[in-house]
Amino acid sequence: MSEVQAPTTSERGTDSTVLRRWMVRPEAPALVFLAVLVVAFSLSSNEFLSGSNLESIIVSVAVLGTIALAVNQVVLCGEIDISTGSMMGLCAVAAGAVATNTGGLILPLLAGVAVGALAGAVNGVLVTLGRIPSIIVTLGMLYALRGVILLVTGGTWITGIPDETRVLGTGSVVGIHYPVFVLLILFVVMEFVSRHSTWGRNVFAVGGNRRASRLAGLPIERVRFLAFVLVGVFVGIASVIYLGRAGSVQTNTGAGLELQVVAAVVIGGTSISGGRGSTLAALTGAVLIGVILNGLILLGVPSIWQDAVLGSLILLAVATDVLRRRLLGDKS
Amino acid sequence: MSAATAVLRRFKFSREVVLLGVLIVLMVVMSLLSPLFLTVGNLLNTSRFFVEVGLMALGMTLIIITGGIDLSVGSNLALVSVAVGFSYAAGLPLPLAIVFGLVVGLAAGLFNGLFITLLDLHPLVVTLGTFALFQGLAYGLSEAEAVSDFPAWFAYFGQAYFLNVVPGQLFIFIVAVAVVWLILARTSFGRYVYAIGSNEEAARFSGVPVRKVKLVLYSGIGLLVGMAAVIYTSRVYTARGDSGLGLELDVISAVVLGGASIYGGSGTIGGTVLGVLIIATLRNGLTLAGVPSTWIVFVLGVLLLVAVFLNEFFRRREE
Repeated sequence: MSEVQAPTTSERGTDSTVLRRWMVRPEAPALVFLAVLVVAFSLSSNEFLSGSNLESIIVSVAVLGTIALAVNQVVLCGEIDISTGSMMGLCAVAAGAVATNTGGLILPLLAGVAVGALAGAVNGVLVTLGRIPSIIVTLGMLYALRGVILLVTGGTWITGIPDETRVLGTGSVVGIHYPVFVLLILFVVMEFVSRHSTWGRNVFAVGGNRRASRLAGLPIERVRFLAFVLVGVFVGIASVIYLGRAGSVQTNTGAGLELQVVAAVVIGGTSISGGRGSTLAALTGAVLIGVILNGLILLGVPSIWQDAVLGSLILLAVATDVLRRRLLGDKS
Repeated sequence: MSAATAVLRRFKFSREVVLLGVLIVLMVVMSLLSPLFLTVGNLLNTSRFFVEVGLMALGMTLIIITGGIDLSVGSNLALVSVAVGFSYAAGLPLPLAIVFGLVVGLAAGLFNGLFITLLDLHPLVVTLGTFALFQGLAYGLSEAEAVSDFPAWFAYFGQAYFLNVVPGQLFIFIVAVAVVWLILARTSFGRYVYAIGSNEEAARFSGVPVRKVKLVLYSGIGLLVGMAAVIYTSRVYTARGDSGLGLELDVISAVVLGGASIYGGSGTIGGTVLGVLIIATLRNGLTLAGVPSTWIVFVLGVLLLVAVFLNEFFRRREE
């Protein structure tokens, strides 16, 4: 979809040009891998390729995918955000607390988004004004926000979320669940923002070469700050989907999610060093993780192996990224 | 007069002195919070906890000086703990199981190092991957169960007392501090570490074997994690897949608090040791004062942010 580098013009005829254009797309290896997996799983298990199973996979990655779409922008800037797990928990607490008091969908959603945006802004300020590396900022925030959750909830669960708030997680139209729509709408929005807005283009520039971007007069601090705020906003939206699906908030809600999000982004093909990637990569990565976790369950692999699989996938993805660039002779 | 102010200024800017001051203030505060804090028995007991973090922080100091980071230390500790416990449960004699654990720790570190150097990847993303991988292996291999039927002598590593008051592992830590300090401050390898952190490219052109140094550092911290894991397993007398969860926060906080710049090029073993002591005082003091452990994690998270912020703030002012 959105190629990042201009494909090198080849004079070897249309076929190889098309293939080459396709090959340099960041999400290409992930899409191939996804196709192979889908074929393999559907051959080994009859249930896999049923419509309801495929839809349930997408529903299961809606939270992950929504957050990955935003973290993708942070990674494209050459930064990282590993605070999203605790941030999701905190947003869910805020949204859940409002929901149990007022009901409705809009107010809890606004509460979640506001809290997320605030937390994202703190990340952004510390990274840009504080000039602290984002990995340290968000590592600190991962623990600090978990502490805030305990402070706010006092360690108790939030239950009794009214049905009208849960609609974003449980409702469906024409047989397709809302989470699928939310994910797809946000994907289209991000695809557009990333390709056609000034900020979207600046993100690639800042991540590709920060020095050159600064010299070219780009507001590199603001571009990165907004990316962190965007993560907060999307985490807020995701927290309401979560609320709908889970129906309650615990103190450990969202724990470990940050790893899945980073895994989705880099597995999809967005380069961890910034500047290369696409919105489709984040979505592909999220779906890929959903398919793999679903496939493991169908194959009867115990869920305690999930972390090991995730870790291997991150390593495999970053290694593939490096090797592919070496093969393509790309020095960036 | 001017000489006096010069001395005063040097005194004021010496980071170790500031940290020592912070440590003393903390100890006073903690002893006010809990009468149990300022007793010889408690202070010595605190070392039971900080030796594990301290051992890992020694290796982490060198890695952070080179501009790298290792997020996988907590997971690696769990992996080694499981390796020791479950190889013993499977019938391996305990001494061999301990050696096996150390080898696993070293191998895990070497794996990080090879991945980072061969593919020229940032250590951050590699160790984030191995953070999940090692943790997952520890869970998976242990099948989320625990081993705790160790023979009595295994307690020697984590629960023994010397002369009835001094915890045994304190000696291991002191020896490790001396060795790592010697390497960093008195050998050409130590100079290489600083050179890589100041300017990796320049170091490479000057003939510093950058990859070899990194490989040694990441393997080295793997071995230190292995030692910490054996002590940890002996102290809690249980091998479980969730051992060491979140310890990377303590370790990185201690190193950064000790003055190592996260951008590489600066840091000292003395500073790190003080950082470890400050974190241990905080943890122990807050625990004695009845503060829940989740709050302590919150304090540590904020402390990490404040420490890095102050580091970079003062570094920029000095420039």
